[in-house]
Parts: sequence; structure tokens; C-alpha cells
Amino acid sequence: MKNTNSQKIRLGLFVIIGTTLFVLAVYLIGQKQNMFQNTFTISAYFQNVNGLQKGNNVRYSGINIGTVKNIVMTNDSTIKVDMNIEEGIIAHIKKNAIATIGSDGLVGNMIVNIVPGKGTDEVIADGDIIASYSKIGADDILSTLSVSSENAAILTSDLIKITDAMIKGKGTLAVLLNDTIMAKELRQSVTNLKVASRDASNTISEINQIITSLKTNDNTVLGMLLNDSVSGQNLKVIVSNLEASSKQIQNVIANIDTTIVDFNSGDGAYNYIVNDTTLVNSLQSTLKNINEGTDKFNQNMEALKHNFLIRGYFRKLEKQKEKEERKKQQ
Amino acid sequence: MKKQQAILEKDKKKESSEEVVLELQDLNKSFDDNHVLKHFSMKLYKGENLVVMGKSGSGKSVMIKCLVGLMEADSGKIIVMHHDITSLNQESLDILRADIGFLFQGSALYDSMTVRENLEFPLRHHYKKLGKNVNTETLVIEALKNVGLAHTLDLMPAELSGGMQRRVALARTLILQPKIILYDEPTSGLDPITAKEIIILMQDIQKKYNTSSLIITHDVDCARVIADRMILLIDGTNYAEGTFEELSASKDPKVKAFFKQ
Amino acid sequence: MEIGELTYFTIRFFKEVFRRPYEFKEFLRQCYSIGNRSLLLVGITGFIIGLVLTLQTRPTLMEFGAVSWMPSMVGISIVREIGPMITALVCAGKIGSGIGAELGSMRVTEQIDAMEVSGTNPFKYLVVTRVMATTLMIPLLVIFGDAIALYGSYLVEHLKGDVSFALYFNQVFDSLEFGDIVPATVKSFFFGLAIGLVGCFKGYYCKKGTAGVGIAANSAVVFTSLLLFIIDFIAVFVADIFYDL
Ligand SMILES: Nc1ncnc2c1ncn2[C@@H]1O[C@H](COP(=O)(O)OP(=O)(O)O)[C@@H](O)[C@H]1O
Ligand SMILES: [Mg+2]
Repeated sequence: MKNTNSQKIRLGLFVIIGTTLFVLAVYLIGQKQNMFQNTFTISAYFQNVNGLQKGNNVRYSGINIGTVKNIVMTNDSTIKVDMNIEEGIIAHIKKNAIATIGSDGLVGNMIVNIVPGKGTDEVIADGDIIASYSKIGADDILSTLSVSSENAAILTSDLIKITDAMIKGKGTLAVLLNDTIMAKELRQSVTNLKVASRDASNTISEINQIITSLKTNDNTVLGMLLNDSVSGQNLKVIVSNLEASSKQIQNVIANIDTTIVDFNSGDGAYNYIVNDTTLVNSLQSTLKNINEGTDKFNQNMEALKHNFLIRGYFRKLEKQKEKEERKKQQ
Repeated sequence: MKKQQAILEKDKKKESSEEVVLELQDLNKSFDDNHVLKHFSMKLYKGENLVVMGKSGSGKSVMIKCLVGLMEADSGKIIVMHHDITSLNQESLDILRADIGFLFQGSALYDSMTVRENLEFPLRHHYKKLGKNVNTETLVIEALKNVGLAHTLDLMPAELSGGMQRRVALARTLILQPKIILYDEPTSGLDPITAKEIIILMQDIQKKYNTSSLIITHDVDCARVIADRMILLIDGTNYAEGTFEELSASKDPKVKAFFKQ
Repeated sequence: MEIGELTYFTIRFFKEVFRRPYEFKEFLRQCYSIGNRSLLLVGITGFIIGLVLTLQTRPTLMEFGAVSWMPSMVGISIVREIGPMITALVCAGKIGSGIGAELGSMRVTEQIDAMEVSGTNPFKYLVVTRVMATTLMIPLLVIFGDAIALYGSYLVEHLKGDVSFALYFNQVFDSLEFGDIVPATVKSFFFGLAIGLVGCFKGYYCKKGTAGVGIAANSAVVFTSLLLFIIDFIAVFVADIFYDL
């Protein structure tokens, strides 16, 4: 063979370059999967992982910082997700960080997003469990919100009917006011309504605040939610509905108030007393509705408030409930 | 038949005086339905040039390949230098083969190697046979000089003419200094002049190294020059034996057919 | 019947691979002629495949506004399937037929017999070295083929979409996993083994005559290509099983 030496050199180069390329590829892939880096593990519990798989990326404020190491069912409704996190990032994650599950793009892989919690807290350590936030829960809240705003709307229209009736037929009102129990009920309803509407307007303004803050800062849980799904739009619509209905409620209350005040200072109110029983009956049921409606409304608002503002409230509540149940069982 | 008996008697005489280096007894070989060799027997004595003649396709190459274990005979005995090669393991067969030179029909030079590498190839395994510290370089050059082609050392076989290729092949056969040389149609595919050169070379070698040669050919001129004794391979068997003169004078039409000019 | 003979041939290969003497020099020579001499061909095919794949996929991805997926998509399809398969097919054509023709003509011109009588085991010297060489060189060629194909794809993205080298390859390696690269590499070894074994088998048992050499070379390519697809098919199943574990 001529040129055997140059052939050997070329063969050597061929093999060396080929293997180098391969090793490089393996290294790069391994690096992406954190194979060659020191990692620590943190976990979070979820009710639903939406198809998250081993090896999916974990992001902190949008940066890839690790991968999902393991997914195990711990009981019939809780799933524990273990995540490998790069050691270098440890100093930046606090114990109050929150994990959510989202998708990477419209049809992308599932990912775990870790977002910083509000305020300051200790730096996270290996094996820590951080709070989680289920997207499903958020959807639930959005639906209750819309239900309560519907309730509010019904309530309002009922009240409008009453006040209309009051203004038109003052005789009915006289009957109504003669009946002291009913009058008490009405007053109670009105105060309830007042409280509810105050709460509602507080909540609404707080929600509005959050929504505006989202436009500038995407790092909150809601930011994740609103930016990667249509639910953001829904929320805005519901909030504005709520706002509108609470205004209406306030108007109604003001109307009733003035009517009652007028009546109390009453000049010749008794003139208008008639025996219209049907009207009285319908008014009674309306008031019942009002009571129920305001109760529900309050409940919803409470839930909503706690969910958005004090994260993990649900979890606490659940734990409390669980504890109580356990106690009961014991 | 009388003639054959006479030959056999002559054989017996020879046997007593001379050593048999190679013997085939009752060899049979068939490929499916094609019975190529039927009860073929033959002996090669030390120092003689035995020519086996036969038409092409008569099984000459098959016979010679059975001799060195390249093909397995269906039945029969093959005794090479007192060893039955069918009962040898690979290692001893290789050692035995170092004493047998084989010149293939088409030269069979390794065409991906230079002439030098071609000649070195048999030394890869058999250098032990030649003793302690042989210099392959000098061996190769010497072998090439023997066939008059020392200048072709670094050429590729494809760059050589057919006659030169044959001579290089001969040099490769000789490099291990075999005791027996088997020639499979040494002159086939060559023009008469080149063929003659090869024949002269074969005679020189025979004189120089005192080898025993088995020459397979269908070339009458070649046989005339070189044969001490001849065997005609017809219908897969040793149909006739004798010297060139004896056989060329034969009245048997099958034998006669070979010598018609 | 042929499959039986090939199986026997394969068993014989594995028996002789580990038995001394090792024909290391010839092995290196074969590595050179199989590896280096095929690099250009594999490179050109890989480059064109990379270009074409990207150009063809581009309009479809654009329709969905998903052109940024190109690196992941092309990366995975080249590394997992197209790279090994195209390289192996090209090599079956070049190397398989080459080995078939070379050994075939060596058989016909009695060079293999000549080797045997000169004390060298031709199976070891010719078959083992070549099969070893293809088994080890094909995976390397696949790596080169993959790399060049990805580079071709990158060029298209760079020219048409102004994607930087770093971004392109970052995305490629982002989408790749060991589950992609390991089966592909293992598969490539088997591709190499198949190319070498079938080429040698066809050549080693070549029928007499020049026609025989032609048939040996031709059937080596045909049989190898078929075998490559079968191996690929099996590889997908096996990889799936491993994934599930
Ligand atoms: N490997 C083989 N397989 C099948 N048939 C063969 C083989 N080798 C030789 N033959 C057959 O044996 C016969 C003799 O061939 P061969 O010995 O080469 O003839 P020649 O006398 O011309 O050298 C031919 O008919 C040939 O077809
Ligand atoms: Mg012949």
C-alpha cells in the first residue's frame, strides 16, 4: 500500500472527529437534561398534572432550571411531582415559591413553572416541598365568579322590580311596612346587600389591581394563567359584569333606603294600604331570594378573595377540614 | 487393457525404487447430479513431472483442489507426503500446505496489493518454516529475480501483462520453497511464445530445486515439453497413463483426440 | 434457504471475530476504504437531505406559524431516523456492492483459494476485517451524515429565517434526548453489521464467472437494503419496549 501513513493519519482524524462529534452531542443533550450538573430535588403536590411527564422542563420565571424527575400518586387525589433543579439556581428560589403546571406554547410539552412568592422567605433547600397552584382550581373559581355575578344580576333585577312596585303602587308598601317582621327582613336584606356590595366592590377593585399589575409583571401565578390561556379574557369580562351588577345593587339599596326613610317620616302613608295579598306573597318570596342570593354572593366573594390574594388558602382550608374530619373520626 | 497392465507393472517397479509424495485413491466428487470425478486414482513420485491432461470441464481443477483441501471429496483417500489430508486439523494442514506450491489457473494475484505484498503474503503465516531470521525483503527480491521481474516490485498486478502476472504468480508459489508444485493450467490464456517462456521457467525451477510437479493442462505442446509421465483424465477417471510418446501413439479414439493437431 | 446460509455465515463470523490471529493491519485498511472513502458521498447526501427536508417542511410549518419548531423537528427526524437510514442505504449501495464485487471477483479468480493455500484464513482476513470495519465505520459515518444534514438544514433556516447558529443548534439539542440518540446509535451498528455481512456473504459464495460477480454485487445491495428496513422496523419496536421500561 502506498501512502499508508497518510491513510492512517486520515483514518485517525476521521475516527477522532466522528467520536468527538458524538461525545459532544451526548454532552450537550446530557447538559440539557442536567445529567452532568449537581442538582437538588424539590417537590410539589398537585391534584392534576395535566399530562406532565418525566423529563419535562421546569422553569423559574421563564428560565429552564431543571427537569421533572418523578411523578407519583401519593393518594387518590394528590400527585407528588419531584423536580431536579440546577444547584446554581438555589440561591434565587425561596420557600414560598409556587409551582404551577402549564404548557409550553399552544400545543407544546407540559412544563412546571415555579414562580416567586410574595414577600421574602428563606432560601429553598434540597428536599423541600413548595406550594402548588392548580390551573383547574383557577377555572373553578372563574366559573363560580360568573355564577355569582349572574346571581347578583338576578338579585338586582328583583330589587328593581320591588322598588318599581314601591314607587308605582305605594299601597303595597304600606302593607309591607305594616308587617313588622317583613320590614325587619327587608332591612336585614338591605344591610346584607350593603355588606355584600361593599365586599364585592373591594374585591373587584383588587382584582382590577391585579389585572393591571399583570400587564407590567408576568411573574405571578395569574400572569402565567392569563398569558397562556383564554381564561384571562373571561376573567376580565366577569369582573366587569360584577362591577356593573354591584353598582346596580348599590343603586337599588339607595332607592330602598330613601323609600324607607320617606315612609318613616310618613305623611299619609296609611292611605295607601290595600289588601293586595298576591303582591305581598310575591314580595315575600323575593325577599327570601334576596337573602339567599346575598349569602351566596358573600360566600363566593370570600372564596374568590382568598384564592387570588392569599395563595394556598384553599390548601390551608382543606388541611383544616381534613384535620377536623380526622378529629371527628377520632 | 494390456497397455494399462504394463503401465501398472512399471508403476510397481517405480514404487519400489522411488518415493511417492502424493497419492489419490479412488477419489469421487460430484456437484449435485454432476459426477465430476469417478474413482480417480493417481500417484506422483518424487522429482518427476506428471502431466494430467483432460478437456476443459473434465474436473482437473476440482481434482487438484481436492489435493490441497480446498474442496472436500465425497469419498477416497488423499495422501500427501504420508499424511491423509482429510484427517488433518487446520493447523497441520496449513503446515503441510507450506510444502505444496499452487499455481492457479488465472494467476490469482491479489489485485488490491502490489507485487511485493503479493509475494510477502504467503510469508505472513509460513515465515516460521523458513527458519529464524529470514529477511522477507531479500526473499521477495530473490524470488522475483528467479522469474526475471525484479523491476516490478512496486507495481500493481493490473499494470502487468498476462505473462508477467503468471510469472509473478510463479514467484509467489516458489517463495516458500515447496517440495511439490501443483500447476493448474500454467499456460492457459497466454500466447504460444509467452507460454513457452513459462514452460522453460518451470523446467529451470524443477532443476534448481528438485521439486516434484503435478501439471494440469489441456495444452499438448506444454505436455510434450515437460511431461515425464502423463495421465489422461477422461469421464472423471484416469483413463490412460504413460509417457507422451506412448499416449500419442495410442489407437484409442478418445486418447487420439487429444493429440490431433 | 439463503437466510439459513446467512445465519450460518453470521455465526461463523462471531466465532472467528474473537479468535487469534487478528488481522489488524487489514482491518485498518478496510476502515480507511470504508470510512474515509465514503465520507464525501455520505456528506453530500446528508447535506442535500438536510436542505430538502427543511425546504419542504417550511411552508407547512409556516402555515401553522410554527417555523420556530424547525430545529427540533428536523433534529429529531434526522437523528432518529433519516440520518441512520439514508447513510446506511447509501453505504449499502457503495460499500455493500463494493464488498460483494471485490470478494466475488476474488472468489472467481481463485484469490480466496490462493489465500487459503498460503496459510491465511481468508474468512478472517477478508470477511472478519470487512464486517468489523463496516460495523464500526457506519455509526461514525452516520454521525457525520447527521451533523452535515443538520448543518444543511441550519443553512436554510439561516438564509430564509435569519436563525443564528447558536439558536438553531441550541434548539436541536434542546429537543433531543438520550432516548433519541442511543437507539439510533445502536441501530447504526446493526446497519453496519448487516451491510458488511451481506456484502461479504454474497461475495464469498459468489458463483463462477463474471456474471456471478455482477449478481453478487447486485444482490448484496438489494438484500442489504431490504435487511436495513427490517432492522429499522425491529429497532423501533425494541426502542419502544425500552422506553416503556
Ligand atoms: N464449486 C463448484 N460448484 C459446482 N460445480 C462445480 C464447481 N466447481 C467445478 N464445478 C463443475 O465441475 C466440473 C469440472 O470443473 P473444473 O474442474 O473447473 O474443470 P477443468 O477441468 O476445466 O478445470 C465442471 O462441470 C464444473 O461445472
Ligand atoms: Mg480448470
